[in-house]
Order: sequence, then C-alpha cells, then structure tokens
Amino acid sequence: MDNLKSIFKPFDTKYVEDYKSSWIKVKLSYSTNLLDVAKLLYDNGLRSISTISATDFLEDNVMEINYFFEDLVNKKNCWLKCDVSRELEHCKIASICGIYKGALWNERETYSMFGVEFVGHPDLRPIIISQDFYDKFPFRKDFDWEEHEKNTVANINFISESFEKEEEENEKKLDVNSSEMILNWGPTHPSSGPIRLKVHCDGEDILGIDPDIGFVWRALEHLVTKKDFVGAIVAVERLCFMDNINSMVGYAQAVEEIAGVEITEFAKWMRVILGEVGRISSHFMGMGGFYNAMGLHTVAMWNMDIREFFLDFLESYSGARIATASVEAGGVRYGLAPEMLDELQKALDKFDATKDDIRSIFVKNPTMRSRASTIGILSKDDVYDYALCGVLARASGVKTDVRIDEPYGAYEHINMDYVTQDGGSSKDRLVQLFEEIEQSVDIIKQAKAHIEKKIEEGEFNPTKDYMVKVPKKLPKGEAISRVEWARGEVLMHLVTEEKAKSPYRLKMKAPSFNHTMMVDYLLKGQTLSDIPLVFGSLYVCQGDLDR
Amino acid sequence: MLFEIFIFPGILYILLWTVVLYWFFRKFMASLHKRVGPSFNGPAGSYQTLFDLSKLLTKESITPKGVNPYLFSLMPLLATILAIIPTALIPWSPSVLVVPSEYGLLGLVVLIGIEPFLLFLTGFGSNNKYSFLGGIRILTQMISMETAFFLSALSPAILFGTLNLASIVEQSSWLSFFVLLPSFMLYFIALLGLLEQPPFNIPDAEQEIVYGFYTEYSGTNYFLLKVAEFSEFMAVFAGGVVLFLGGYKGLFFDNFICLFIKMLFIAIVMMVIRASTPRITMKQMLKFSWKYLVPLTLLNIVWIMLSKILFFGTIV
Repeated sequence: MDNLKSIFKPFDTKYVEDYKSSWIKVKLSYSTNLLDVAKLLYDNGLRSISTISATDFLEDNVMEINYFFEDLVNKKNCWLKCDVSRELEHCKIASICGIYKGALWNERETYSMFGVEFVGHPDLRPIIISQDFYDKFPFRKDFDWEEHEKNTVANINFISESFEKEEEENEKKLDVNSSEMILNWGPTHPSSGPIRLKVHCDGEDILGIDPDIGFVWRALEHLVTKKDFVGAIVAVERLCFMDNINSMVGYAQAVEEIAGVEITEFAKWMRVILGEVGRISSHFMGMGGFYNAMGLHTVAMWNMDIREFFLDFLESYSGARIATASVEAGGVRYGLAPEMLDELQKALDKFDATKDDIRSIFVKNPTMRSRASTIGILSKDDVYDYALCGVLARASGVKTDVRIDEPYGAYEHINMDYVTQDGGSSKDRLVQLFEEIEQSVDIIKQAKAHIEKKIEEGEFNPTKDYMVKVPKKLPKGEAISRVEWARGEVLMHLVTEEKAKSPYRLKMKAPSFNHTMMVDYLLKGQTLSDIPLVFGSLYVCQGDLDR
Repeated sequence: MLFEIFIFPGILYILLWTVVLYWFFRKFMASLHKRVGPSFNGPAGSYQTLFDLSKLLTKESITPKGVNPYLFSLMPLLATILAIIPTALIPWSPSVLVVPSEYGLLGLVVLIGIEPFLLFLTGFGSNNKYSFLGGIRILTQMISMETAFFLSALSPAILFGTLNLASIVEQSSWLSFFVLLPSFMLYFIALLGLLEQPPFNIPDAEQEIVYGFYTEYSGTNYFLLKVAEFSEFMAVFAGGVVLFLGGYKGLFFDNFICLFIKMLFIAIVMMVIRASTPRITMKQMLKFSWKYLVPLTLLNIVWIMLSKILFFGTIV
C-alpha cells in the first residue's frame, strides 16, 4: 500500500488515504495530471479499470470523476478522484483509453450520461441511451425528465427515423458487387436478448461486430435518487433478476457504511445463504443459455427443474420466487423459521441427486467440446486489460473473487478457495459455471450447518436478530462496496448529501458491460455459427448491461 | 383409386401422421426434458396439435414486401406435393402399394433428393438476409449429405439385385438384415442431415439464422411447409424401414402395424439424439461428411458386394 501511495508524491493531491482493506483513496488537485498518474498506476500493476463514475455536484459547479483501478493479482486497488468543471464547454478530461483498453465503453457511458468529453477517445459515440437523449446528458442534475417525457410519441418517431436512416446509409456504404452485408442480430433475434449486434459479414464470415446496447435501459441509477434508502432496493435488485440478492447486498453494505451501522452476525450468515442461492439460480440459467445457443434445450429444462427447488426456498423465505427484495440496509428483511431450512435441504438433496447426470451428459459432452474449446478464447492479459471479472476471469485462470479478496458478510468464516480453469475458451466458461454451482452448494451447506448449530446453542435468535435499525436520514458521505455477484464483481458507488432521504448518486458497476465489449474482439474472423455460442458463453444479462 | 389418393396412403393419412407424430414428438420430448408437455386439451393433450393445425389454417398468411408473391406462396405448395408423392411408391402392407414399379427405389430416392432444392427456393424467394443464408446452407448440406444417403440406399438394391421396393421387402430375411445393418446406420446418419435434424440442424438453426427459410412464412404457408417436413419424415422413415428393416414383415404377422412400429422406432432414436446433442457448425458438418461418412459408405458397398458372394452365392 505504501508503495502505491508513493506514486502520488510528485503530484498535487488533496488527500491520499487508506480505504477498507485493499483500497487507497486519492483525490487529485488537477485533472491535467490524470494521464501521468494512470500511466504510473498501470506500470505498478493496477492494470484493470473497473469502472468510471461521475458525480454531478450542481451547487459546487463541479463534476467529480471517480476512477476505480484494480490489481487483480496483488489485490491492491486505487480509487482516484478528480474534479472538472461542469459547464459543458469546459467539461473535458483526457481519455485513458490509450493505457487502459477497458475504459473504452466506460468513457463512452460517462460521456452519454454526463457530457464529460474525453479528449483523445478513439470512438466517442453515445452508448446505452436512445437517439432522443443524444447530447442531452440525462444524468446531469439539471436535466428535465418531465419535459422530456411530454414528447414521448415524437421521441419514439425520432428513434425509428434514425434507425431507418442508419439502414439506408448501411446499404450505401457496402460494395454492391461483394457479398458483404450488415445483419441486425437482435433485438428480436431468438438468441440475442434485447441487444442489437450490428454484424458486418461477408457470407458466413464475420468482418466486425458493433454492439448496440440500451434496449432495456431503465435509468436505474437515476431512479434510485427518486426513492428513499429502503425503496431504492427495488431498483437495485432490478439490475438482473437471475441473481437479484447479491446486488442488494452490495447496496445495503454501502448504506450501512455511510450510516455507520454494524449488522448482526446472524444477518451476515443469512446474506451468505441467500446470496449463494441467488448465484446458483443464475448459474443454472447461464448453463441453460449456453446450450440453448447451440440448439439444445434439454439442459435448460433440467436445470430449471433443480432451480425450482431453490426458488421454493426463496419463496418460503420472502414470499416471492424471483423479485425477493429480501435484503435491505441493516440486515435481512425477514426472520428465519425452521421449515425454511427444510426447504433449502430439499433443494440441496435434489442437486446432489442430479449433478452426476448433468456432469456426465452435458459438462463432458463431446459435441459441445469439439465446438466450444477452440473459440472465444480469453487470455489472462485480456482479463487484466479489459477488467473482466467473475466467471470469465476465473475460466481464464485469473484468481479473483471478491468473496476471498475482500470478504464481506460472513465469507471470512467460510472455508473456500478459488475455482479456476486454464483454457479461457467458451467450454471452460461452461465448466466453470458448473463447478461454481458445486462450490456454492458447498458454501450453503457450511452456512446452514453453522446457523443451525448457533441456533441450537442459543447464540442466534432467528426471529429477532435479523435486523438492526438504520436511520432514515443519512449523513453526508461516500462509500463503495464490492460484492461477488453471479456474473462477477458488482461495485456500488454511493454518494449522499447531508440529512439525505435518498441517494444523491448511485453508480452500479455491473460486469456485463465490460464483458459485452469483448464481442467484437472475440468474434472477428469467425463464422456466424459462432456468434450465439460465444455470446452465450460470455454470460451476459441485458439487465445489468443497460441498467 | 380415390380412396388411395384421399384416405390411405393419401392426404388424410399424411395429415393424421403429421398430427399424431407432432403430438408424439411433443410428449416424448417433454419427458426427456423432464417436463409435462401439452396436457389439458383432450386425453394427454392430444387435441393440442389439432388446435394448432386449425389455428395455422385460419391465420392470415403474411407476404412480405418486395417478394414475388407467386413464387413465395407457390413454393410451400410444391414442396408439400413433392414430399407426399413418395408415399405412392412405398409398399405399406402386402396389399397396399399404389404404384407398383420396377424402379420404385430410384423414384423414392430422386423424389426425396429434390426436396431441398425447393426449400432453398423458399429461402431465396423470401427476400430476407437470414432466409437467404438458410437457403445457401441447405444447398451445402444437401450436396454433402445426399451422396452418403444415395450410396447407402443403393446397398439393398445391389444385394437383392432389384430396384423394386416390393421385391426388396419380399426377399428380405434375418440374414439380409444383419448384412444390411451397417448400411442402415449410415442411412440413418445421412437421414439426420437430410431432414435437418440435430446435430445437423444447421439450415434452420433458430439461434444462428432465425429458422433460415422458415423466417418469413406464417399461417397456411407455414402449415404447408410443416406438412412437407413431416411427409418427408414419413417418406424417409418408411424408405429406411422398407430397404433395411424388412418393411411390413413382423415377427408374428405381416401387416402395416409392423411397418409403423419400425418407423416409430426410428423417430424415437432421432428424438433421443435431438434431446442430447447440440448443433455442430457448417465446417464440422462438411468435414464429417466428406472425411468420414462418404468413404464409409463406399466401404460399405464393398462389404455388400463381398457378402453377396459369400452368403448369397451368386452375382447377378
């Protein structure tokens, strides 16, 4: 850490301080130093840029930009801040794309939402937002949403006109005598989900892919600022329904940090159980999606069959199967009754009874291996450069897992190790998914045994201990919180004002955003048949891609 | 004659086969998927396919902008008719054979082999990038798979010295069954490719090219294409049973029922493969076909000729 701090000695900084176990927090006095600092950080091993988050301080007339640099090997991270003016003509900062490739889309996002111009960015087009928001920068505090929504019909017409114009231009650009064409892979394509991949191809060979995202953009980061701290979890869990629990855990931790509240031991263990159940239900869908992309639906159906039992547990606990809203700041929402653990035991038994079939028929499937072990290969360097995380990173052999690197909840008491593969191909990502399910089941068993033991000893009171009170109004503060979500690291950056009833700014860094950036890189030069397979193996959810 | 055209083995039989097989596929697939399948319309959901059929027949058939409407709507009709014709050549039972012909096998193979051209034209006429890609894929697959299909269908003709399907069934025995077993397996693999079934469902891969040539079809036209697909199933299954498995001959009695059970057996094996094998790519299919399947079928012809000398004693 001291080594890292010494980097900042030559620069003018407002503060350099330790933050949590693995972070240092730095504020630069002048944004002009950014490029030099970034270069030094990169050379010191912080090779990944997790995300970029801007905060618009209307009263101070300042746009604060937060960079989150991570070192996936040595687990030393740096939270770098600097201020730029928020007036549009002066709201400029140097682009770090030349050093950090992973910043490509993150800078585009910050540009689209806040109008921060990244000087030197190779391709600074708006992303996520639809055409009617172009050059209006919707996340700025002075953007008038109501005014914008008055013209809904005109906006929709404008979007469809822009689309038609784009199609016409595509036809003009292509050579008439060649067999080149531009395919719209989505948003209604059977294997795309709500995303449009503009596939430029020559017959079956892919020349390039330009993903067009934002079809399920709900402006969640704006929505939370309109709700109170408890109501915001409804928006937070809509990051993606497949694993809705861990995202709520991340948000709740950030709120607790600002409020200065320590939750009970029992709630921590409950968060582990709920979070792993969420991860399992998501991974099952991920495996199914992978095989669906190859035209085999049996895996999805078999996995659904097991997943139902885990959802039964969530239903018995929270009353809802998918949108549970079961974690909030201060602990977990409900107490635990003994019969709920019986439901969980049923799910675990079901998994143990079925896992051998799934492994022998589908994880070791020779046809799948003949196709998937040679395409979509991500090396370790790709993982560092593009800040990939979760399943993708571990399938390439990178040992990163927030549950171990920066333990939260009760994970520090749990006996677990990194699960990794070596190849980094699409096949490895599928195998990784299955092995992580096994790991999660193991964690649930440990946590369940621990809770049962403590209840028996009388240390946990499951009907009372689950919640501590968190004040409705929070002090001025700022916190980040990281959790290992099903798809990878979720980083919540929460900013509050004095006596705030609702978040001032919540940045949700979700893994699919960085992962979708890889589509073009992985598929250039391959054939059309590889698109669904590689795209399916990236384990992308459009919910957290667009937010 | 009218009975044969309209009832058995004509149009009504084909419709009934389509409906029953569709329902059977759904139910059987569901049990492999650990699902229930259609359950509440009629006994075991058996009306469901009937309802689907009536729905498709009454729905509007949309013709996309910019296509030749005659070509677009003519192709499904032609495809259906061509797929139904082979039933006339097949000896369904000792007494039912609509067109007795010395060249039944030749007719069967040619009629089955022409079907993919029509499907290519449906894709070509749809004025849609995905459908066009699907059409091209059909042609590629047809060229590589039909070689193996023809060569393996040739083996019984060589063994029995005739192209007459009725005569092939009459001459078949347990000995010929075992001699023809390798040919049947090769025929079955080629059949999967020809019928675009997994793992060779490349031309109508929904995740890759949005069902290929089916993309633009709806309503009655879609229904006709589905009937064409299922009649082709029937022609190819029945062809396989007649050529290799002794047709209508059974253990205890010779009847249509025996032939039907054997056809269902082929369908079941096809379903199980469908439920457990993902799709392969075009490149893999081409490699598999030309590197392994076609040489094997050629070797198989040699085996048939040898066994004819060894077990059947004469060269005709």
